[in-house]
Amino acid sequence: MMRRVNFSWDKGVALFLILAVVLGSLLSDNFANVSNLSFVLRDVTEFAIIALAMTFLIISGEIDLSVASTLNLSSASLGFLYRAGLPFEMAIVGGLLVGLTCGLFNGYLVTKLGLPSLAVTIATLALYRGLSYALLGNKPVNELPEFWISIGYGRIPGTFIPWSTILLVVLAGVAWFILHNTRYGRWTFAIGINKEAAQFSGIPVQRTKLMLFAMTGLMSGVAGVVYTLRFASASPDGAVGYELSIIAAVLFGGVSIAGGVGTLWGVLAAVLSLGVIRSALQLAGFTANSLLIVSGSLLLISVIAPKITEGLRTRANAGSKVHNKKTNREVENE
Amino acid sequence: MNALRNLVKARELPVFLALVLVVGIAGIANPGFISATGARDILLGVAIVAILAVGQTFVIVMRHIDLSVGSLIGFTSFLIGDLYSQGYGLWGGLAAALGVGMLVGGINGFLVAYLRLPSLVVTLGGLYVVRGIFNDYAFGRTITAAMVPPEVAWIGLNRLGGIPVLFLIGLVLVIVSGFIMRRVRAARDLYAIGSNPAAAELAGIPVARRVFTAFVINGSIAGLAGAVMLGRFNAANANSGLALELVVIAACVVGGVTIAGGSGSVWGAFLGAILLQAITRAIGALGIPQFWQQAFNGALIILAIAFDKYLSTRVKTTTIMGSDDA
Amino acid sequence: MLPTEFLASEPVLVMDHVAKSFGGVRALVDASLTLYPGEVHALLGENGAGKSTLLKTLAGVHRADSGSITLEGIPFIQGGTRDSIEQGVAVIYQEPSLFPDLTLAENVFIGRQLTAGGLVDWLAMARRSLALFERLGVTLDPHSKARGISIADQQIVEIAKALSTDARVIVMDEPTAALSSKEVERLFTVVRNLREQGSAVVFVSHRLDEVFALCDRMTVMRDGSTVGRAMISDTSEPEVVKMMVGREVSELFPKLEPKIGDVVLEVKNLSLAGQFADISFDVRAGEIFALAGLVGSGRSEVIRAVFGIDSYDSGSVILEGKTLPKGKPSVSMERGIALVPEDRRQQGLFMASSIARNVAVTLLKKLSSGLLVRRADEENTARRWAGTLQVKFADIADPVEKLSGGNQQKIVLSKWLATEPRVLIVDEPTRGIDVGTKAEVHKLLSQKAQQGMAIIMVSSELPEVLGMADRVFVMREGKHQGTLDRAEADPERIITLATGGVVSV
Repeated sequence: MMRRVNFSWDKGVALFLILAVVLGSLLSDNFANVSNLSFVLRDVTEFAIIALAMTFLIISGEIDLSVASTLNLSSASLGFLYRAGLPFEMAIVGGLLVGLTCGLFNGYLVTKLGLPSLAVTIATLALYRGLSYALLGNKPVNELPEFWISIGYGRIPGTFIPWSTILLVVLAGVAWFILHNTRYGRWTFAIGINKEAAQFSGIPVQRTKLMLFAMTGLMSGVAGVVYTLRFASASPDGAVGYELSIIAAVLFGGVSIAGGVGTLWGVLAAVLSLGVIRSALQLAGFTANSLLIVSGSLLLISVIAPKITEGLRTRANAGSKVHNKKTNREVENE
Repeated sequence: MNALRNLVKARELPVFLALVLVVGIAGIANPGFISATGARDILLGVAIVAILAVGQTFVIVMRHIDLSVGSLIGFTSFLIGDLYSQGYGLWGGLAAALGVGMLVGGINGFLVAYLRLPSLVVTLGGLYVVRGIFNDYAFGRTITAAMVPPEVAWIGLNRLGGIPVLFLIGLVLVIVSGFIMRRVRAARDLYAIGSNPAAAELAGIPVARRVFTAFVINGSIAGLAGAVMLGRFNAANANSGLALELVVIAACVVGGVTIAGGSGSVWGAFLGAILLQAITRAIGALGIPQFWQQAFNGALIILAIAFDKYLSTRVKTTTIMGSDDA
Repeated sequence: MLPTEFLASEPVLVMDHVAKSFGGVRALVDASLTLYPGEVHALLGENGAGKSTLLKTLAGVHRADSGSITLEGIPFIQGGTRDSIEQGVAVIYQEPSLFPDLTLAENVFIGRQLTAGGLVDWLAMARRSLALFERLGVTLDPHSKARGISIADQQIVEIAKALSTDARVIVMDEPTAALSSKEVERLFTVVRNLREQGSAVVFVSHRLDEVFALCDRMTVMRDGSTVGRAMISDTSEPEVVKMMVGREVSELFPKLEPKIGDVVLEVKNLSLAGQFADISFDVRAGEIFALAGLVGSGRSEVIRAVFGIDSYDSGSVILEGKTLPKGKPSVSMERGIALVPEDRRQQGLFMASSIARNVAVTLLKKLSSGLLVRRADEENTARRWAGTLQVKFADIADPVEKLSGGNQQKIVLSKWLATEPRVLIVDEPTRGIDVGTKAEVHKLLSQKAQQGMAIIMVSSELPEVLGMADRVFVMREGKHQGTLDRAEADPERIITLATGGVVSV
């Protein structure tokens, strides 16, 4: 279901990633070594895990701005449960369940009550973060088991690969498989391309969307656990603003905000690119703020570029145009 | 009679009632809440969000959104103080703030209106870019009380007739904007654009021009509001305005300015901002730990959105049977 | 020969030899139209004849490539929609596009709000629009919001809008498509009033009976050009059809001998408030069961409820002895019902997706080994069906938007026939399709019926109903009016039932 222009979009992002790596090497000697690569991988893991689910969601035509707060609430729950005396493993499960619940709640509001996902997840963004504060107050949980922290931060012995990357690779593989090779992935695309036609084709639209929100919540929960282990702390003010970076990465990776278009490869390449750029800029002495400008610019490019290519394409073969409700273009077809 | 009926049916009524309810409950539990000081606190705290919400209304009724206002107002509040301390005076700072606001609004407006890019993405990018430039410009400096122009400090500290000047500024803005949205033809087009974008084109409305102008207006308001923010806090730094846009949008939604566009008023947005602030204070007044405040805000917004949806679905729908007139 | 009153006046609109192309597609080749004040003028032609393009050119949505347009003797400025409105052209589209959140008064005056001293004058707008509504003979509250009012009322608001602009030319594009019979009558009265007041009205419709009842003159288009003009009184329906189609109306593919078996689907006392009430019927294997009636009689709503797109208030749907859960299209599909919807572009197809994906979308479970979708099988299945139905396409990976209307409809049919349903529901199966493909579709449906499929067909085209159906179930305004066997069914009986009369059989 990919339009041709977005097929080459993937290649574009991959190219961008390579260019970013080259640029990074040029900017600093400390860039192109395995230790730094390891650092970059660890840095992007939480973003990437959530981006996997967000890809599905945006392709289906919805959005979830509460993911960072869900990540944080899962993290806070984990800390809270552990501090309350639960074994750490159980606390992890608790954190994951919290993430899943947050996603289900979002999904319920959107599918059963029919509320717009943009507005609703702005609200749950506040609600979930607020619950984190309510759980932990201003007392973060900093005493976590050594074993788990070492997994969160450490690498596979003898390699530069962080443990968390293994998790990411597995999840990414599963996500790729589902999105591009199963009927659930096809359904996701169909719903994003034309919700009404999807319904008429016997696709269970509401159920699918609910599942996608639930998955997003669960992945945010996973990211929350990873985050907690990496920073060895559960606190209510972690991961503020992450959602914007995640969405920026997904959109830059070729997923159209209108839905129905995108690939997982593109998103992964985009997430990696952002991590690489961040690292390159930091090592070259730029402030972390430059990353903001870069992310914002990439976001803008990711929407401007398709318009330009589409404009060129329609000039080349004007004729039957598709009526795209989301961009409100005229039908010209008689 | 007609006017009264319209008042009762107004979208803003539930917000107003909710406000009365909140003030009532909190006031009963803690009389200090409805004292003059309590009221002043609310009005003082609400000014910034209320002003931004009024501006945001212009954008949301068109079925767009502007997420860059938080970064923008933070930047201009810093800019005003910075330029003043460098000798450009109050008016130099204000001119710069207005200029920046118009520029950002103009860029947003151009991308959305003429390149037809989705406003969510464009202004999200804008949020980033402006914050990034701001951070570089500020680079660890802060604006201290000494750097604030005296006029600005004055509006932050003083009251007219017992009401904080900051709030009065917002009140004047909402009165003027309310009038414009109701009585100026070009402003009515904004509602049409949000209500049915395709029909707006067919009806001969210059859609692109209107969309562009609305973004510029919103940007200008946010830019100038930097003075209000500076006056309120008597300080500014690279974190000023962080995450403010979400509160602003929440205020609009709570106030009946639907995300779907086409309806709502600046008065509603204004009331929504007051309601959110009142709840924040009420939570404190009721003895609930501050930590629950954000959660409450979130839950409240969900309720507001759900109620708004309920209201919009309770209309007479087309029927095949029995819809003929006698 | 024009009667004297026409000869006496100057034409209000002359469109002469207008041509318009979009890329390589020539939508208008040589189109002409002449309008006189005080007439109702029918613009006829099959889908794709160019009517819509011609009217959109007049409306300012498109600009003609060549040809001339004169309005009241002055060259017409083709600047855009605003220019057209200002020059006195008002177009009421098939789906009226009002602004749901604005009041009716504001809708009437949209873009040109009445002012007093530069500011919007709400009282004046309310007063004026109320006067307009009264002039049109309807009671509508100018202060109420446009959201939720019926399509018929929306049209009235649009007409009021046209009148308020002092429109010289009022164009109505398929205005009766979604109206009940009473509303059609009301509309006709309004149009006749407009005519008496000297307006020129262009009336686009496929319903020749309405055209002959209402209009004075006609222009017929075919393949982008004007091929005929006549006074309504000088011509007849068959002649008009011949002009539209360009040849004698060919016989529909003769129906195959039906082999009717057991009851497959039972619909019992189905009701949905405001849409339909107490609908009951049975459909047997091998039968073609037609739901006939005027547009807006509730037939599409009934089948949507049967399939599960919409829920219903009471009653039941039983497929092969087992009750179907309501509101679950995915279950209906699995149990063996298929629905080819009315609006193929919006409901039947994913326009930007490939032909292969469109055909396969209903078959994904069958085409999967476990979780994995077998891509090769997706494409092969699509190719096979496209071949069987003789779909003309370039590449199976092409987006379906590239296909013609008829071929698109075949793809929708493919995707559903491939699920091997027990019951196939088709809603206006040949709407907007060229005559050749029409015959192919009919042949296909007949064949499937003969192979044992139960077919429910919603159609507003009498020849189609008469040619295909074994039984005809006539509805009107949500209620069942009567059922006719094939032997009993004829145009008079069906129309009588459809318009509320009683027949004896």
